[in-house]
Formats: sequence, C-alpha cells, structure tokens
Amino acid sequence: MSKVYFSTWNGELINNIGKPQEEWEESAYNLPAQYDDHRDSKAFIGWDGVSLFHEDVDVIRLAMEYAAQYQEYSEACGRCAPGRWGGRILYDQLDKIARGEGSIADLDHLKEIGKSMQITSKCEIGKTVPNPILDLMTHFEAEFLECINEQKPSKHYHESVGYIAKITSPCSDACPAHVDIPGYIEGVRDLRFDDSLEATRQTMPLAHVCGRVCPHPCEDACRRTNLDEPISIMSLKRLGADWETDHGYDFFHPMEKKPAIDKKVAVIGAGPAGLTTAYYLAAEGIEVDVYEDLPVLGGEVAVGVPEYRMPIDKYNQDIECVRDMGVNFITNSRIGADDMRRFEKEYDATMVAVGTRISKKVRCENERPEIKGYWGAIDFLDKVNLYEKYGYKISKEEQEENLLTTDYVDLSGKTVVCVGGGFTSMDVVRCAIRANAKKVYMIYRRDEKTIIRNTTYEEYHEAVEEGVEFLFHSAVNKITTDENDILRELLIDKFELVPDPNGGRAQLVKIEGESYTIEADYLVPAVSQSADLDLLPEEWEIEMTSWATIKTNGKDYMTSRKGIFASGDCEYGPMTIVNAVGQAKRAASVMSRYVQTGEITLTDDEIMEDHLRKLRVYDKKEKITGWLPGLPREHSTILDVDARKDNNKEVNLGFTQDEALSEAERCMRCYYIAMVQA
Amino acid sequence: MSKTINFTIDGQPVQAQKGESILTVARKNGIYIPTMCYISKTSPCASCRMCVVEAQGVDGFVLSCNTPPTEGIEITTNTPALEQERVNIMKLYDVNHPLECGVCDKSGECDLQNKTLEFGVAQQNFTARDQSREIQDWGLINYDPSLCILCEKCVHVCNEVIGDDAIEVKFGGYSSTIIPKDAQTLDCTFCGECIAVCPVGALVSSDFKYSANAWELSRVPATCVHCSAGCPLEYETRHSGINGEDSLYRVKNNFEFASLCGAGRFGFDFENNAKKDEMVFNQAIKALENANAIRFSSMITNEEAHILQLLKTKLGIKLFNEDARKYQEFIKAYSSVSGKLHHSGSLESIKQADAVIVMGTRIASDNPAVRYALTTASKHNGAKIVYAHPMEDALMQNTVTQLMKYEVGTEEGVIALLANEILKDADLPENIRSYFDDLDLGYLDAESNIGDEELSFMSRSFARAENKVLIVGSDLFAHERSDNIAKFCAMIEKYSEYSLVIVPTEINTLGVSLICDLDADEPVANVVGYNAQGDFTIASFEDTDMAVPALNQQEGTFVNIDNKVLPTNVALSFDGYTLNDLAAHFGIESENTIDYTKQLSKEAGFKSIAFDSLENFLSEFGDDTRGYVLDEVECSAADELDELEDLPEFNGTVIYHCNPVLQFNAYTNKSRQLEKDTTLRGSAQFAAAARISDGDRVEITFGSRTITREFKLDSDLKGTIALNPTFDDVFDASRYRFEKSKIVRVVHE
Repeated sequence: MSKVYFSTWNGELINNIGKPQEEWEESAYNLPAQYDDHRDSKAFIGWDGVSLFHEDVDVIRLAMEYAAQYQEYSEACGRCAPGRWGGRILYDQLDKIARGEGSIADLDHLKEIGKSMQITSKCEIGKTVPNPILDLMTHFEAEFLECINEQKPSKHYHESVGYIAKITSPCSDACPAHVDIPGYIEGVRDLRFDDSLEATRQTMPLAHVCGRVCPHPCEDACRRTNLDEPISIMSLKRLGADWETDHGYDFFHPMEKKPAIDKKVAVIGAGPAGLTTAYYLAAEGIEVDVYEDLPVLGGEVAVGVPEYRMPIDKYNQDIECVRDMGVNFITNSRIGADDMRRFEKEYDATMVAVGTRISKKVRCENERPEIKGYWGAIDFLDKVNLYEKYGYKISKEEQEENLLTTDYVDLSGKTVVCVGGGFTSMDVVRCAIRANAKKVYMIYRRDEKTIIRNTTYEEYHEAVEEGVEFLFHSAVNKITTDENDILRELLIDKFELVPDPNGGRAQLVKIEGESYTIEADYLVPAVSQSADLDLLPEEWEIEMTSWATIKTNGKDYMTSRKGIFASGDCEYGPMTIVNAVGQAKRAASVMSRYVQTGEITLTDDEIMEDHLRKLRVYDKKEKITGWLPGLPREHSTILDVDARKDNNKEVNLGFTQDEALSEAERCMRCYYIAMVQA
Repeated sequence: MSKTINFTIDGQPVQAQKGESILTVARKNGIYIPTMCYISKTSPCASCRMCVVEAQGVDGFVLSCNTPPTEGIEITTNTPALEQERVNIMKLYDVNHPLECGVCDKSGECDLQNKTLEFGVAQQNFTARDQSREIQDWGLINYDPSLCILCEKCVHVCNEVIGDDAIEVKFGGYSSTIIPKDAQTLDCTFCGECIAVCPVGALVSSDFKYSANAWELSRVPATCVHCSAGCPLEYETRHSGINGEDSLYRVKNNFEFASLCGAGRFGFDFENNAKKDEMVFNQAIKALENANAIRFSSMITNEEAHILQLLKTKLGIKLFNEDARKYQEFIKAYSSVSGKLHHSGSLESIKQADAVIVMGTRIASDNPAVRYALTTASKHNGAKIVYAHPMEDALMQNTVTQLMKYEVGTEEGVIALLANEILKDADLPENIRSYFDDLDLGYLDAESNIGDEELSFMSRSFARAENKVLIVGSDLFAHERSDNIAKFCAMIEKYSEYSLVIVPTEINTLGVSLICDLDADEPVANVVGYNAQGDFTIASFEDTDMAVPALNQQEGTFVNIDNKVLPTNVALSFDGYTLNDLAAHFGIESENTIDYTKQLSKEAGFKSIAFDSLENFLSEFGDDTRGYVLDEVECSAADELDELEDLPEFNGTVIYHCNPVLQFNAYTNKSRQLEKDTTLRGSAQFAAAARISDGDRVEITFGSRTITREFKLDSDLKGTIALNPTFDDVFDASRYRFEKSKIVRVVHE
C-alpha cells in the first residue's frame, strides 16, 4: 500500500490532485512506488489503469511512451489488424499532441481507435493498452487541451526520462519460472511446435518434465477460470518437446550460445535447479561443471519421480538439451567441504543445488532408522527408480537391510504403510502397488480435500483406483517390532477437526479410544525431506533459515558467502520442480553478471517481474468479455487402471492433437504491458 | 464424442460437429461472415478480427473463426455495432496501403479492394507515419512488404500444408513483416503456395509480375500432368503479340482447398507448336504400317491410350510401356490376394490419417501432393509417420517420426517384416499364419537392417492411432520380387485396418495400365515411339519426327492416385495433326479424341460417361467433384504368398534414379521458370567412395548404359547412394530404381 497522487488502478479512483502530500490517500494495491533501493517510481501504468506517485509526471508523454511499448514488444505484437495499425496510430497521435502539433480531432481519433482496439484486438495487450491512455485523457483533459490549443510540447517532452516496461500475463506471473505461457500455447495453436518449444525454453529448459509432472500453479491464475474452466496449461507444454523428440531434431535453443568468456562455474547437483543453472550459464558463454553424487543425472525427478509419471527417456531429452548447450557433467561425485574450499578458488562462482534428500521422521514412539522395515521414502524411491529406469540392482547387503530377497524392489505379499500427503508419498504408494505389495496404506493427518490441494486431483484419484487405501485424520503413534527388530505392527491414532470456538483455525484433536493397530511389513516416512548440507565448510558460517535450508534473499539467490549461490529445494525447502527452475533461472542470470563484474544486480526485467508478482497480475474477480463461455477443458486419456497398475507404462497419455488444438483455442492470450516511470 | 451441437445463427437453427467453428458452420449454411485472413485448409490465423459476431448473453464480440459454438447459443452475424468495427478494421487495413492498384498484379481479384468497396471505405481519417520498406526478390517469388496486410495465410500454408516452414512473421507491431525463416533469403521448394493464398499483391510470381491484369485472362480448368496426383489447376491465357495468338500466362488453383507444387504452378509452358505437314503425316503413317511395336510413355490421356490399344489390335503390333506394364503386374499380384483391382486409400485418407508408413518412394519429389497430405496429417492430426527407405530425405524430417532405413534391394524382406508386425494379432487364414510363423526373422532383420526394436517402436507409436495408411511407391514396382511385395501389401490391406495407397509413377500410369494390353519391351526393329524413344518418333517433346499436342493442348482424361478419372482441357490450341488423325487413316475413326471417353473399359472400372458430362471443379466446400471414381472391380483371389528369396546385397557406389524437387519429365525440363539441376548429387561419403569431388564431370555406368554428369556434393545427403535425375534423360522404368554403378571421373585433356 502506498500513497499515490492519482490512481485508477483496477477501478479505484484516487484523486489527490491539488492536495498537500501529507493528505494523499493510499492505493489499495501493492503498486511499485519504490522501483529499487536507489530509485523511486514516479508513475506506474498498465493494463488495468494508471497510478502517479508524483505531481510532476508528464501524463501526455507517459501515455505516448506506453503506446510506444506496444510497438516494442515484438514477441506479442503484430498479430492482428486492430493491434498492428491501431497501436501505431495511438502512438503517432499521442506523439503528435505531445510534441505540440496535435489537434482536437486527434483526440476523437484516439478515442475511436482506442475503442476499436478494446473490442476487436487479438490479445489482451491490444485490448488493454487503450485503458490507461483513455483514463489519462479523461482525467487530465486540461493538460492535453493545453498542448493542443497552445501548440506546445508537453512539459517534459524534450527531457530524458526513464521508462521501464515489462510484458506479463496472469499465468506467467503465477509461474515460478515465469514461462511465456501464452507464447507456447500460441505455438501449439498455430501448429508451430518449434516456436512453442522455444517460448518455453526461454525460461524453462525442462519442457518434457514440466509438460508432465508440474503441479501447475499457473492454472490457478488462468483468466479463463473467470469464464468457465482454466486452460490445461501444463499438458500443452508437452507438444513442443514431443515434436522435437519425435522428429529427431537437433535441440531448439531459444538463444544462441555466446562465445566463451573465460569464466567457470561449479554446480553441485544435477537436479532441476542444477540443470537450469547450468543451461542458462552455458548459454552466456560460461564454462559449467555440474557435479552429481548419484551415478545418474536428473536429481529427484530421475530417482524420485517414478517412470509411470515421468518416462526417463523423455527426461533424458531435457538433460541432453542442457548438455547440448555445452555443459560438462561429472557423476558419482559427492562433493565435500574440502571440495567446496577448492571450488571457491578454482571457479568464479558456485551453485549449491543439492536438493533435500533426507527423509524426515514421522515422530512416533520407537521410531528408529535401524528397524528392519522402516524405509525412508527417498531411499525407497531411489531403489525402485534406479532399477526400473537404469537397471541398477540392489546389493545383497541392502537387500538384507530392507527385507528383500530379490535384487529389485519386490513387495509381493507385503503390507506397506506410508505416512505423508505430498507428491513424494504418492510416488511411494503407487510404486509399492507396482512392486506387487499385498496392501498399501497412506496415512495422512488431514482430509481428502487437503491431500488433493497438496498434490493434484488426478494423482489422488489414480492412486485410489490402483488400490491404495487412504487413512485420513490418522497418525502413527507407535512402532512395534519383533525379537529380530523387524517391524510388525503400527498403532494408529484417529483425529478429528475441532473448530475453534473463538473463530481461529480448527485444531486436530485425537479421538480417545479410537486408536487401532495395523500389521505391517514396511513403514515409509514421506512427511517431508531435509537438506544434507555437510558440504558447506563450517568456517564459512553460511546463514541458514529456521527450517535448516540455505538462506538467500529470494531475489538474487546468493548465500551469505560471496560467490556461493543456492537454489532449489536446499534453499526453499522441499517444493516443486518449477519452483527450483524459477529460482535457478534467476540465479543463473545474477551469476552471469557476478562472474564478470563481482556485483550482485538484477535486470530491469527481473525487478519488474518481482514488482508484478507482488502486485499480482491475476484478478479472479475480473469479468471477462469478448469470449464465449462454456467451452469445457479437455482432459487427456489416462491409461486404464488394469493396464497400468502392474507396470511402469506412462499413465497419462497426453493430449491427442485434436484435444490439444481445442484446448489451445481456449487460451485468451492475456498478455499485458506494465510500465514504470522511474 | 461425435456429439452435434445445436445452436442458431441469425435465428436460423444450425448444427455443428465437434471441432467446427461458428464460422465453418455459418459458411456451410450459406451465412456470410466477412473475413480477410481465414483459409479453410489451415488452422485459423485469427489476425483480421473481421469475423467477430455477437452471442446472446455474452458481453463483447466473439471471434467466429476459432470459437466452437456451445449448445443453444444464439449468434448474430450482423448488427450496426459489428458493422462499425468491421468498417474500422478495413480503414486500418487501408492506412498507408500504397495506391498503386493500377500496376498491381492483384488488382481486380484483390481481397483488400473488394472489402474496401464492400464496406464503403471511401475516405480515411486514421493516419500513421509511413515507413520505407524494400521489395524482396526471392527468385520465383517476390515480396512487397508495403502491400502486405500480415494476414499470415502464407505462413500457415507453408508450415501446415506444404511442410517447408520456410517463412515466418517477424513481429514488431506496425513494422511486422514476413521473412524467410532462419535464412537470409527464401530457401524452400518453391511451390508458390504463398503466392496463391496472398489476398493482396504482396507475394507475387516474379515471372508473371506486371505482365497482365486479372480481368484480361481466360481461365481453363485442367489437371496437372507432372505427377500421379493430378492436382486441379487453372491455366490462364491471354492473347499476346499482334497476331492475337494465345499464350499461357500463369497457373492458378483453388487454393482455399487444393494445393499445387512448384512444377504445377510454374512449369506450365510446355506447349508444342506445329502446323499440319502432310509429308510428315505420311511418313508417320508409313512408319506405323511398318511398325512391329509402338513404344509410349504414360504421359498421355486415357483416350490416347485407348486409340493405341485399338491400333495394336488393328495393326497386330506390340505395345511397349514398361512403366505402366510394371505397375500393371504389381496390381495383378496385389489383386490376386486382395480380390479387387483398386487400392483402398487416397490423398484424402492420408490427410485424415494419424499413422502412416511410407515405403519404397522418395515421396517429396516423386509425388509432392502425397507429401503435402502427410504434412497435413502430421500437423493437424499429430500423425506418426514411418518412412521406410534406404535414404533419408531432409525434406521429410518435419513430418517423419521414424526413419526405417533398410538396405538397398531388401524390400521383400522389409515388407515381410512390416506385415509380420502389423498382422501379429490379426485373424489370418491358417496357411498365412503359419507362413508368418515360419519366417526367419533373424535373417530378415540382419540382411535388411530393420531391427525388432524398430518394429515394436512403430507399433508403440501407432498404439493410439485410428486411421492408418500404408503408402508404397515405385521402388517396388520394378523390384525383382515385386509380385510377392504386392501380395504382402494386399495382405496388410486385407487383414488389418490399414488402407493402402500405391503411388503410380506418372500422371496416367494407372490409366494406361487399365486400358492397354502391354508387351514386355524388347529390342525389335521398326518401333514407333509415341512420346517415347523409337525409330520414328511422334511426340509433343522437342526433336521428334512428328509433332503432336502437349498435354496442355489436349482434352481428355487421366486416372490419378485416387483412382479418379479426371478431365483436362485445352489451354492452348495446336494446329498440327494428332494421334486421332493417324488412327483415322487406319479406319479407327472418331471425330474427336474425347469421343472415346465413354468407351473406356468397364471391366477396368470406367463408367460410360461422356467427356462433356464430367465436372471439373471443387465444390464451394472443397469437395473434389472432378470426374468420377472408378468402380471397384472384383477379381478372383487366393490367400497365398511366395516363399521369400535370399535378400540381395548392393555394395559399392549405388545410384538412385530420382529427380530434384520441381523436375519430373520432359515437360518440366522444357519449362522456362523451373531450375534444371542435372547433376548427380551425393554425400561426402559417396564422393569419397567414388573418388570424386564437387564439380567433377563423371561418367556413370549402370546396366548397359553410360551417361555423363557433373557431380554435386549435397550436405543434406548421407551414405553411399547418389541421386541421378531422369527428367532430362530416358528413364528406363523396367529397371529397379537403385543401381549398382561405376563412377569414373572424366579427366580433361
């Protein structure tokens, strides 16, 4: 909330013109009044209105410069007649008035062309660019008339003024990796799959992965929801990647790799964050060595996410795309504190992206890792996936530790209990089904609605279909073992949600007398994971968050030690792939400048990105016009439960071309332009 | 999912099928909604915004071209408010559009002119600063960005229908323009489709430019003669010079639904000129009287073929046409299993397909229409396309999803492996099942180089497919084992859901094969060549003993790849004698050649329809109403396959008879605009094996022939097979298209 001189943002009308600054009212929105730590904003203009933070803003030039941006934003514009010509006319007429050569008729033409653009443009840029311009013409009519009547330039027409603009959209804004979603959907709609893929890869190298297993926060910010249902954004990402793979093309990189600049970066961890960092750094001409503890590349998406959700041959395409940018991978290489000390000397910067690979305890009585049958989710999934995807067999010792008699995970005749509620626990129970377990339980403290919110509707229902039994409002109280310390039985407590009489958050309260026991062979804790950060030299005293992850400011991703960066789960805590990608992409950008200048800086585009994220681009109350409601969202075909539950075939078959095109047609291309005068 | 949606447009109740837009339904029901950028055969460009309509209960205007209707919605297509926005859009289109209609090629058939008049835009109150833009010379195609309205039709057809994907929009608001994709200048197959669809004069033929006005040209509907697709086209003629003789100015087509390749579009000027010369006529009669045989090509009409057949009977001579004879034999073997004469598939079924196997043809140059149909299937249906051939083709990369590269000569083994894979779960007769069970798959795999993994990959990628097509081409017709290969093709068609397309070589290979009793070609004396080599030649090509009209100077019919009998008409008159005149001398009399159209053999499936009763246009919804489809003919059939023979080996330097894109035959070779690349094209590996380098003159010896060509290195090619063009040479269709060859560099003195 900030004090404004004038604002029409999102329908508010705050007019402090003529009032002393102390009496200015505040805007209801998180407007970027402060551009960065050394610059105030003077004005903010965008799709939804205009806000002035200073009396001295040249509103005519502001309108003209905003119209000019429409001509600049080549990635979005030039695609429709009203936008292409109308946008140019807006700019020309405003410039004519601003330089002191305008006429009254120009104002009428501006209004007429503005209205036509609002009604008929192809994308929201064309429809919304006239909005703040018409606002300014209405509320500052006197200033426009003064320039016209006196044939004089607007007040700062000939001065150098800084305008910083950024293109955005509700979905891209909500995407942690800020993927150009309308861009890649347009590629599908236009059957230009290479363009689609390149739009994705500008900020997201893992197109196969995030076209399959992304929890798609973007879909919660899809404007189409205001009309009927959100676009199936995630699934449409697959098309470009599948097209490249199917036709055996060389990788479509959205940028040309820059010549080598003789700088080196070490990346620890080849998961989504590590791969992303490496890809964008390599594109900048920086030499990148990625060190990976495991024998395989890909991190948790490779050894955590099961084959039936994320086929490894597809993920390997994403990884090869990163390698193709000229990245050097070193596997089977666990990095310790000594290595880190050495890296600090040998490399110009280091990225720590080791994820969170320690399964947290469920916190029950008699919980000891040495119990046979107590099997952490991360290790369980490692064993399953390393065998299923790469053929790595389980050694005799490890078989014994985990009560196995085969060199792969075979749970025939066994009962598996998993405690969790997130994606990892879903992977555990569904892998257990595929390993032929006799019975699989999922124990979760809260209810069905919450588990769906934490994962996805599809994930939960598919697990139920496959035979997983979900025990809600439950928790393990105690583990019982036999004389050989083999797990035998679990005591389960039941809970209920008791509303707070004072209107606070409802509390989970144990229901006395309803506890019961389950005979079980395995207990797999999958409640959460923590980071293994032994590699950080103690004397560096790297600052940690209260939940034991590496601390950064969440904007530039440098740790408290200069030149050491962190991104992904080891920075944020266990989170999504797309979150790791988003952080790493930003970090790579910061690092690419840091290795050359030694300075930590953000680009204007990144500063604007953060401002807009704070302001929030998506407005769920907005009424949509100009689109026919009631066109249902397409759903891709899911492999029948009997055809999938005993094997690793990909469950989600993806859209047919027909379904994909229908879905892409529903996209409303909600691009917007925001601009700050700083 | 085949639910129909009921709704109304302007109060009229209408129905939509799933996937249809409001605009499509309106057009089907004869309701007019103006558009500037819409083209039926591509996904909507959605750039003009003129097709906006109002929907009951919906605020704002809805775009009709890319919005499917919802149940019960009431659509209004014309209100004063809509009209005003459409007028405004037209005003915008007219901002700074150069006022040079007087010299613009498009004038008279320009969508911008038409719509400006339609919407009564007589004056302009919007202005913008103009910008200087340069005309681009892209060879056969010129682009003037000042005239361009950025409708994007050209970009859509190039990518979605043709598959060249050679142009794109360079975005930049008012400065947006069309540019070659990833290249300095246009690098494409020059089909000219972009010219055809351009609604204004921005993309034009550089040859036609400034040569005539649209309203001066007469249009002659005809059938393209360059390959077996038989695409619909219109020759446009006008008098030229002071004698008032007609000339061919250009070719156009119904681009809304049909497409043409560059040979069809630019290779139209192959007409022949001759006056009636009685002395020559008598020499021809004499040659025929003494003839032991007539050798002819398949570049003739059905009616000419019919006359030749009558001459054969009358004169008791032989008819040689190895191209049609090989095809005939292939079909005979196919029929012996399938029990019918005609293959089941068509260009349309390829367009609808979501799984295709192409085998034994370099299809992009053999039959561009099949390539375009594959592009449509790939882009619009996401079709998985297996390309089985010993050589990859860079032009096919964006349609093909799996290359099955087999060893030259092993086609019989390959088709056996494919049939075995496709029919593995089919309900086969016992003898055929045990035939497949007895196949030595290990041997076939090893010799053909098609692994089990490749076949199961194919099955996996076809798993969701509903419309499958097998396309086979001319590599198979002259193969030593063509009979058995044809039988395997028939087995697949008969016992699986695949439809089959057998791609004929020339425009009328199929027609000739149905009409003529052909004899195996042999070196006998006194052969009269009819559009082919002979001791006395009668031809529409140059250097002939007697000149006859070319195929753009004749009326008659062809049978194309779709088993369709297609009429063609006279674009330019011919003053000399014709085959019909010669036949008349032998008592085979008929006033016009086309009188034979209704006499064509019913046993082969022809209908007795007179030429003048054949339609020759596409309906307003794009249905091909030209001519008719041959009736199916049943034959006796037995489920039998021959034992496989040992698969041959082709070592050393091998050549493949294959024309460059845009070249097909003597007609295209004669055509002024088409590039004539007569080089032997090969990879670096080929050059190394043959010990030759780029630019060398080389002697190529294959079979009993030796020819000399320049060698050109082609970085798109791989392996030890080079491409030898045939359009400038005599193509011997009796020989398998791959040949072991001896290559010797010609040393200059």
